[in-house]
Amino acid sequence: MASLVTWMLALGSLTVALMLVSYVLVSLVLIIPTWRICTRAGFSGALSLFHLVPFIGSFIVMGMLAFSTWPAGEAAPRR
Amino acid sequence: MGIEIAALTSFFGLTGAFALVGTVLAAWMAWRIVEKAGLPGWTGLGAILLTLTGVGTIVPLILLWIFAFMRWPRDEPGNGLGGVAGGGFAPASGPAPAPGPAVLAGPSMALPDARGWRLSGVLGHGGTVSLAVAGTSGTYALTGAHTGAPTDLTVPDPSVGQPHARLMLSGNRLGLEDLGSPGGTFLDGARLLPEHGPRDISAVRSIRLGSVELALSRA
Repeated sequence: MASLVTWMLALGSLTVALMLVSYVLVSLVLIIPTWRICTRAGFSGALSLFHLVPFIGSFIVMGMLAFSTWPAGEAAPRR
Repeated sequence: MGIEIAALTSFFGLTGAFALVGTVLAAWMAWRIVEKAGLPGWTGLGAILLTLTGVGTIVPLILLWIFAFMRWPRDEPGNGLGGVAGGGFAPASGPAPAPGPAVLAGPSMALPDARGWRLSGVLGHGGTVSLAVAGTSGTYALTGAHTGAPTDLTVPDPSVGQPHARLMLSGNRLGLEDLGSPGGTFLDGARLLPEHGPRDISAVRSIRLGSVELALSRA
C-alpha cells in the first residue's frame, strides 16, 4: 500500500514538473519575439517575462507597448 | 436537468463574453503597436482576428515572430523619431546633385544659408547656457565638463555626460549622435539611442541632454 502511495506521488510530481516545463517552453515561443520587440521599442526585454503570468500576462505586455510612449521613438502617425 | 443546462449555457456565455472582450482588446492594442512601428494598423488587427478563424493561433504566432525580426518602417531613413524630420545623417560631401534643368535651379543652391546654429537653454541650477556653432563642417562634443578643447561644447550640468553626444556640421545640415550617456538624449521629446547613429536634427526644435532642455535655432 505504501509503495503504491509513493508511486502515485512520484507520478504526480513528474506530471506537474512536465506540465511546468511545457508551460515555460510554450511561453518561450512568445517571450523571445516579445523580448526583441520590447528592446526595439526602448523598454527592458524583461517586460516580456509577463508572458509567464497565466491569462493576463500577454495583455499586460501588449498594454505596455500599446499605451505608453516608446523610449526609442515611434513612427509618425499615419494620416 | 433544466437547471444544469441553464448553468452550462450561462457558463459558456460568460466565457464567450470574456473571449470576445479579450479579442477586441488585443486587436485594439495590436493596431496601436504596429502603428508605432510604422506599419498600417490593420495588419495588427488582422493578425489578432486570425485567431477567430480556422487557422487557429499558429498564424498569429508566426506573424508575431516576423514582426519582431522584420525591419520596421520607423527605422527607415526619412521616417525619423516621432515624426522628427530627418532620419539617418550622412555628412554631405562633394557637389550637390543636379537639381534638374539649370534654369530651374532651387533657391537653396543659389542662396545657401550661411547662418550658424545656436543651442540655448536653462541649466538645472538656474543658470543659462548658449552655444554657437559656425562654419560648414566639423565635429563637436557636447559634454558636461569644461575641457577647454576648441571642439567641446560645454553644458555645465551634472545630468550631462562627459561626453554626452556628438554634434556634426555638414554644409547646411546639423547631425547629432548620442554617446550612451545615462541621462539620455531626446529630440523633440523622442529618445535618441546610440544604436540610432547620427541623426539629422536640422528640423528639430528642442534637444534634451539629461535634464537640460536646449532650444535649437539658427544663429
